[in-house]
Amino acid sequence: MSRVITISSGKGGVGKTTSTANLGTALAMQGMKVAVVDADIGLRNLDVVLGLENRIVYDLVDVVEGRCRLRQALIRDKHFPDLCLLPAAQTRDKDAVTSDDMIALTNQLRAEFDYVLIDSPAGIEAGFRNAIAGADEVLIVTTPEVAAVRDADRIIGLVEAFDKGHPRLILNRLKPRMVSRGEMMSIEDVLQILAIELIGVVPDDELIVTSTNRGEVAVLDRGSRAGRAFNDIARRLAGEDVPLTVFDDSPGLMSRIFGAFGFRARGSER
Amino acid sequence: MSFLETLFGKRTRSSDIARDRLLTVLVHDRVKLTPDMLDQLKIELSAVIARYVPAVDAGAIEVTLLRGESSDHLKADIPLRRTPHNL
Repeated sequence: MSRVITISSGKGGVGKTTSTANLGTALAMQGMKVAVVDADIGLRNLDVVLGLENRIVYDLVDVVEGRCRLRQALIRDKHFPDLCLLPAAQTRDKDAVTSDDMIALTNQLRAEFDYVLIDSPAGIEAGFRNAIAGADEVLIVTTPEVAAVRDADRIIGLVEAFDKGHPRLILNRLKPRMVSRGEMMSIEDVLQILAIELIGVVPDDELIVTSTNRGEVAVLDRGSRAGRAFNDIARRLAGEDVPLTVFDDSPGLMSRIFGAFGFRARGSER
Repeated sequence: MSFLETLFGKRTRSSDIARDRLLTVLVHDRVKLTPDMLDQLKIELSAVIARYVPAVDAGAIEVTLLRGESSDHLKADIPLRRTPHNL
């Protein structure tokens, strides 16, 4: 039974595309056949995050409008032959496809893949509705910020209104040290407000920036804490019971004492 | 915020401010209550309660919305002033 999962957020820039790329790769590492679909027509991004931007010949709109077959548009990943990207069109806009087109497309993909992950555009308009049209389940990405959580709340309401069940939450870019100082909302704060099931917490990690610069994904980097968190989320998606890791980025006792008086011990920044 | 300020509670933690602001905008988003309507609700609520319990301060009432499994909860926290009568 293949599963179609849409990654959405409402607000832009909270990590939908990064989450889609990392979860897709992590599931492929588990030996699954995975298709990642960029549903952000006109603002193509997922290809760049996966480092596949030079290989695009056809795109999603070409498939929908019958200019090529689905197989011709799918781009094989550099590392995992069972991971494929269906890129968005860059020169068209979101009106180029309808919800029915997306349902037909996801059904075609179901025949070939175990997982179909759809990267939703930001916003609540047609592009978002198209992205969830063919989905069995939805993952919501948010960061612990007022604007991002507010938009996540709106999206949760819409996902439930469209009968896509209860979405699960990825809390991205958490800074545990700021939380412990009372300068960032905690996991509990966000969960209490949104009242949905948590599927994982991804710590803020500079390695995401450097891996994205190179067109690589963080799950391939064993040193990346965000990469490990995405791997855990992929295992939970597959039904495994993975305990939530508490990311210990807190400085040692000495630096905490110094930190209290405005000093920072050397080496506390990891 | 420095350690001493935290210790003596001189400033509210910014995460608490974020949480409170978020709860206020969500009341508006979910049940279409504007901040003005919410203030009016508090004034009327305090007027009703004052008929039964003295020493209600409309300005101190906190109305928040919590999302539950199947329904949302409008929650009012109504502090009562301590007066010589009820001490």
